[in-house]
Amino acid sequence: MSLEVRDIGKSYGGFKALDGVRLTVETGALFGIIGPNGAGKSTLFSVISGFVPADEGRIILDGKAIDGLSAPARARAGMVRTFQVPREFRHLTVRENLMAAAPQQTGENLLGVFFRPGRVNEEEAAIADRVDQTITFLKLTRVADQPSGMLSGGQKKLLELGRALMAKPRMILLDEPFAGVNPVLIDEIMERIAELNGRGIGFVVIEHDLQALTRLVPRLAVMDRGRIIAEGEPRAVLDDPLVREAYLGGVS
Amino acid sequence: MFYAQLLVNGIVQGLVIGLAALSITLVFGIARFPNAATGDFMTFGAFSALTAHQATGSILFGGLGAIVATGLVSLLAYWAVFRRLADRSVVALLVASIGIGFLLRAVLGVVFGHGQQVFQVPLTRPYVFNGIRVMPLDLQLAAVAALALALVFSLLYLTPIGRQMRAVADNRDLARVSGIRPGRVMVALWLVAGGVAGVAGMMLGIKTIVTPEFGWEMLLPAFTAAILGGIGSPVGAVAAGLILGVAQELSTPFVGFTYKIALAFIIMLAVLLLRPRGLFGQLEGAR
Amino acid sequence: MEAYLVAIGIIALIYVILSLGLTLQYGLTGLINFGHVGFFAIGAYTSALLAFQGVPLVLCFAAAAVLAGIAAWPIGLVSLRLRDDYFAIVTLGFSEVVRIVITSEKWLTSGVQGLPGVPRLYEELGGFTAQLAVFATILAVTLLGIWMIRRIAGSPFGRLIEAIRDNEEAVQALGKDPARFKIQVLVVGAAFAGIAGAFYAHYITYIVPDQFIPLVTFYVWMAIIMGGVGRVSGAVVGSAILMLFLEGSRFLRDVLPGVSEVDMASVRIGAVGFLLILFIMYRPQGLMGDYTKR
Repeated sequence: MSLEVRDIGKSYGGFKALDGVRLTVETGALFGIIGPNGAGKSTLFSVISGFVPADEGRIILDGKAIDGLSAPARARAGMVRTFQVPREFRHLTVRENLMAAAPQQTGENLLGVFFRPGRVNEEEAAIADRVDQTITFLKLTRVADQPSGMLSGGQKKLLELGRALMAKPRMILLDEPFAGVNPVLIDEIMERIAELNGRGIGFVVIEHDLQALTRLVPRLAVMDRGRIIAEGEPRAVLDDPLVREAYLGGVS
Repeated sequence: MFYAQLLVNGIVQGLVIGLAALSITLVFGIARFPNAATGDFMTFGAFSALTAHQATGSILFGGLGAIVATGLVSLLAYWAVFRRLADRSVVALLVASIGIGFLLRAVLGVVFGHGQQVFQVPLTRPYVFNGIRVMPLDLQLAAVAALALALVFSLLYLTPIGRQMRAVADNRDLARVSGIRPGRVMVALWLVAGGVAGVAGMMLGIKTIVTPEFGWEMLLPAFTAAILGGIGSPVGAVAAGLILGVAQELSTPFVGFTYKIALAFIIMLAVLLLRPRGLFGQLEGAR
Repeated sequence: MEAYLVAIGIIALIYVILSLGLTLQYGLTGLINFGHVGFFAIGAYTSALLAFQGVPLVLCFAAAAVLAGIAAWPIGLVSLRLRDDYFAIVTLGFSEVVRIVITSEKWLTSGVQGLPGVPRLYEELGGFTAQLAVFATILAVTLLGIWMIRRIAGSPFGRLIEAIRDNEEAVQALGKDPARFKIQVLVVGAAFAGIAGAFYAHYITYIVPDQFIPLVTFYVWMAIIMGGVGRVSGAVVGSAILMLFLEGSRFLRDVLPGVSEVDMASVRIGAVGFLLILFIMYRPQGLMGDYTKR
């Protein structure tokens, strides 16, 4: 799945959150976006995934414009996002969270619940198998039957990734997967992402943590004040004087 | 001529709705929930005014009584209940406001009984302008409403606390980091919200018959005006109240007296569907 | 005495059916329906008016459920994409409009005069036997309702509506449209209220618009909040407590000298207000505990 962002603009009042953003993410890529707080990274995700309407510009998915599609329709098209602050279904267990994410369930229709119980049970068994695999893959076995509201921040990030996987995506938009996660778990999450990317799922990863992101992605873009100011290989991009000034000036 | 007369009649009604909507929009904009007790605040204001009016014989003192007593009751509701639910979900605040409305209605019912009470105001001859009759009482009420509005708007736009209230309504987080103390803003908010609802209740009481339930009936038109005006917009609430009051009067010959409230409901749905931020609102979407 | 207990049982079960509908809507899905009484009224008037036309009572009851459900459809279409608090206002307004319509359309509903002489269920059995038969029927319907709600709650549909309650945007991000689920919930919950209304009309046999004031909606809210939001057992326990409360206040009025019915009505409404505030502030999870520990 390839994603093309063409000249996206978005203003709030007089404030330009996004200003002519252009991006191309090739099929199966592992692409990073960095930038200081307030650079517009999360807004960009919200626009791409259909949660916030753009003022101008187009979003092209596999050659087709998807600007008219609702957020759920974009997810069904194969592009699934996660959120910066994890949005687990807190009263449901980890297992139930993942079960709920499986697409096209007969049992999600009331007529199906009451008139096709056999088919619902078959599907549930099949989904439960996929959930078990996902839980094992993400090493969430120990907490599988706990209410997800009680998980640690890192575990919630893993759960978000797992839920996105259950939706059978071809591309995942990850919003700060490492924020507030302990270093051991960061390595864990990075390994999982790399492995999934090896299986052909494309990723766009927003991240604040430069170290982690430069290790993970072969290509990234830098955002500042609503614009893309550089794009390329991590080393080259980070040596760009414009980037150093905008983003690294205070840090290094 | 007939419609011009209805228009004049609609204005006083519109001021009542506008004042109630002002109370709702301030609370909605600043404390972030639709206060379902507003109608019962109005009832409380009407009974306070009635008591003060009976004691002094003056409409002005009646109005003052309504403002002070209702403002204090509203502040009490904030202090005892809403303050403690500030970090809870909107449904908690909503249900609590319903509860407060019920409590107020019960207290008024026990204290004043369920008989119909009326303000004993002297009957006067109407002024006639080009064949349109205007009651002196309506002029007095319009003056009271204008005075109340002038007070509230000066408070909102000319004083530091008013500026802070509007800042919190605009952006709560920004207001907090710029050093505004939410406690003081909230006290001011609830005093004003109660006082304004109290005046609206007194006006409605003078125009109609006071019972412990009568304010509740105004809740729907008041919500409609607040939404039509744009949540968080004080000017919008008053303007929308006037529009709605006039529209209700003008529609009476066509839809009948009882469907006035239904008309408010239809307008509310239409606004929510077609222009959820209302006529003047820009801050907060309904979706 | 038996007759009194059975009578209370019937009314209590009507509240249980109402509470089951609200448990589905608010408890499981998080829909703040403040207009439950509107659907209750539609059910009551539909069934009563059809019965006057000689339609068999079974069909009257079915029509009550269907019409209440259908009435919920447009309300859902226009308001389910709105924020929670706006939805609450719109539903509250809807129930008031229903009451205005039944008050105004005298040709159909006799307005404030109301409809006396609504046919009873099992009229031919007569007396206490008929009452027992009514009780058995409403008990069976209630049990069916409990079974349905539990079935829904335990299904993939139930899982998804609970997910919607916890986080609507996350559900959208997974490719599912919350409005599609909420509208089904709204319609089914309204149908429950419609059935309850039909039982009410044919049991009380005399319906007037004043029986369908918003206070009834909040009786049901009080029941599910006291019982424990989101739990089927909570709906049952809460309705039982509600019934004790309503009957207790009537008993008090009878034994206390000098307390009129209108005074007692004030005390009752005040107590409802007080209990709502108390539970929301100090025990939002209700008497039966948090729904996560079901």
